[in-house]
Amino acid sequence: MDELELLKKDWKKNDGQFKQVSENEIYGMLHKSSSSIVKWIFIISIIELLLGPLLGILLSSKEYNLMLERYHLKTVILIFSIINYTVILYFIYKFYTNYKRINATDSVNHLLKNIIDTRKTVKHYITYNLSMGVVLFFIVFGSQAIYEPKIVKLIHDIGGDSNKGYIIVFGIYFVITIVVMFFVWLFYRLIYGILLRRLKRNYNELQKIEY
Amino acid sequence: MRSESEESFVKQLKANQNIVHKICRLYTSDQDSHNDLFQEITIQLWKAFPKFRGESKFTTWAYRVGLNTAITLYRKKKRSIETTPFDTEFHRIKTDEYNFEEEEQLKLMYKAIAELNDIDKALIFLYLEDKDYTEISETLGISEVNARVKMNRIKGKLKKILNP
Repeated sequence: MDELELLKKDWKKNDGQFKQVSENEIYGMLHKSSSSIVKWIFIISIIELLLGPLLGILLSSKEYNLMLERYHLKTVILIFSIINYTVILYFIYKFYTNYKRINATDSVNHLLKNIIDTRKTVKHYITYNLSMGVVLFFIVFGSQAIYEPKIVKLIHDIGGDSNKGYIIVFGIYFVITIVVMFFVWLFYRLIYGILLRRLKRNYNELQKIEY
Repeated sequence: MRSESEESFVKQLKANQNIVHKICRLYTSDQDSHNDLFQEITIQLWKAFPKFRGESKFTTWAYRVGLNTAITLYRKKKRSIETTPFDTEFHRIKTDEYNFEEEEQLKLMYKAIAELNDIDKALIFLYLEDKDYTEISETLGISEVNARVKMNRIKGKLKKILNP
């Protein structure tokens, strides 16, 4: 078939036509998948940070403010928030530098190290958030048990002058805290867990290549 | 420090990148998708590289992984690709000696090839790359007889388009 031969001849001219990709460009392509995962970690952490104040605005009502005042928590919560946001901003900065570094990396060794660093940062971030949650619950529940007349009465009704009331009420508080933190932890496992698993997979593959 | 295998992979891919470019040319219709597919094939080749033990030639292996990637992606995006207008300017290679009749025939053939299904495209690609049926069947994982039958059918299709 002449036409196909003609096509073949024409196809051969392809070879000189393509813009050639350099070695460095190829290295860049190889590391892209890890860098896009780290980018997502960075983006999600920012969304999370913005979500906090947004929820604060949406939920802050007169009653909430009155409650804070009644529990003598206004200053405490303010200080708590300032510390919390400072630390979270620090984490976002860390995520950002991780992302930048992974993007600029051109060796497998460095990439492996960056992946470990990123995973560590995420784990610290989650641990920090969970412990802060526990501290916050502790502060709020503690104040409630001191300043909320209903709770004070409840404690008295259960145990009279003994410690029984305190033990039971704080036992309930403890269970609530555990349950809520468990769900927060699940939530983190879900969003960061997927990304971390992918990073881990990349890591394993890269390591196979390394040795 | 770059690992030895990474270095060897990048060197070999760089030297043989035209294979990937040509696959991209056949499976995409504009420069952006060309670059995207090139990157995707590069990543897939890299992922598969630990399994490449040098039993076959790098090029044979690259044909196989590259075409598999292109076919898989093509299937995923089938709808959007089918509605993509065919960019004849991109697909046509500039020829020095301009022969109007030949030029028209080539245009028609490239257009016809662009409309082939994913597997047929891979077949015609390997045919254009001067591969024999043994290599074609190995690369695509079909039997030699099957490759011949398919190829004849494609030739028939093209003939029909050129001589209606």
